Amino acid sequence: MNQADVTKLVSKLRIPVHPERRKLRNPKGPEGRIDKLRKTVTGLIKYERIELNYNRADEARQYAERLISEAIQHGDCHKPTMDIADYWLLEKELVHKLFKVLVPRYENLNSCYTNLLKAPRPQNTRNIEKVVLELKGNPYPPLRNKQSNNKLLIQNVLLDAAKYEYRQSKYAEIADKIGKGETTVDNNQKEKVTEKPSQS
Amino acid sequence: MINLRIYNFIKILKNVERIIFQNMFGGPPKELALAYVNDKRTPEHVKKLSIRDIIGDGILLAVPKFRRTVEKRWKRKYGSPEYVWKMLVPKNNIKVCSECGHHHESGRLCGNCYKKVEMETNEIKEKIQEKLAKTPIDKDVIVLYEGENLPDQPNEFWKGKRIIEMKKERPQWFSRNLLQKSTQQPSTSTDVKPTDLA
Repeated sequence: MNQADVTKLVSKLRIPVHPERRKLRNPKGPEGRIDKLRKTVTGLIKYERIELNYNRADEARQYAERLISEAIQHGDCHKPTMDIADYWLLEKELVHKLFKVLVPRYENLNSCYTNLLKAPRPQNTRNIEKVVLELKGNPYPPLRNKQSNNKLLIQNVLLDAAKYEYRQSKYAEIADKIGKGETTVDNNQKEKVTEKPSQS
Repeated sequence: MINLRIYNFIKILKNVERIIFQNMFGGPPKELALAYVNDKRTPEHVKKLSIRDIIGDGILLAVPKFRRTVEKRWKRKYGSPEYVWKMLVPKNNIKVCSECGHHHESGRLCGNCYKKVEMETNEIKEKIQEKLAKTPIDKDVIVLYEGENLPDQPNEFWKGKRIIEMKKERPQWFSRNLLQKSTQQPSTSTDVKPTDLA
């Protein structure tokens, strides 16, 4: 079995791709659509966190992921990869960022490079699905604070201790009950044993 | 039959007499003519009634010709459950945010938390863009707030980083560790608030 693993030769998206088409209407047609996506990918690489409509974000995310994975796989000395980066990044200083900042950042990452989170829907407005698209490892405050799941949070430490204490006291209670229960069972058995011969 | 023939004959005679007399004497003498007023007028041209006669210079609005059915009226009013349902429907997917306690839709970011994060993000974004401008970006960015030093890490860790300084204190909710202060400092203002006014 000296065959190469095909999945490792082709860069594979690490995000789910939905089968439904994403409507991105543009008066210029497919060309305008790609232009729009190029702008979005450029903005994502530049600002690292952007808020936009779902369809556009979902579509641009795939291109951004592919771009980063290509960059990680081939490096900056690979002509086709450089061409792709040149095409997708409209501001050329971002090409440096892609290879010098993002590649080292994501080299050892086993999951996808971007996050797509649904933004809160404002009340009494048209229901446009807004999402926040961000690169992982950005310098901004986290959108999803998982402090409540953090085991080292002081409240969680105290709660864990309290739970442990409560459990220990319950166990002790149960153990006591079992001990007492056994003695009572024994007494009953003795009584029964003493009663039985008298009846017969 | 005979009567009819006689009648026809007399009719012809009368006609002949009338023609001869009229041609010879110019009709009956005018002195014997009956004097009367001619009531019969010549028929005038009757005008048909036109819509212009009623409205004149005004305008006429379009009006419905037929009554709308109940189904159509109700669908317009309440919508259709299969397509667009216009009535208010309670939302069953509201959750309480574990950070701030505000309500938000499940599967979405909390509105209250996101507002704070968004504002802070935009500020940092501006600072970063200001600093980096149009230079080629080859270094990662680290954000430091006022009164913060670089965390204890070997110098090699900080080598390829660009430091962005925010000219304010780090927000309480954006803390990296538990040792960050989480309560407000007692105020130093000496203003005395009036009490027992009512």
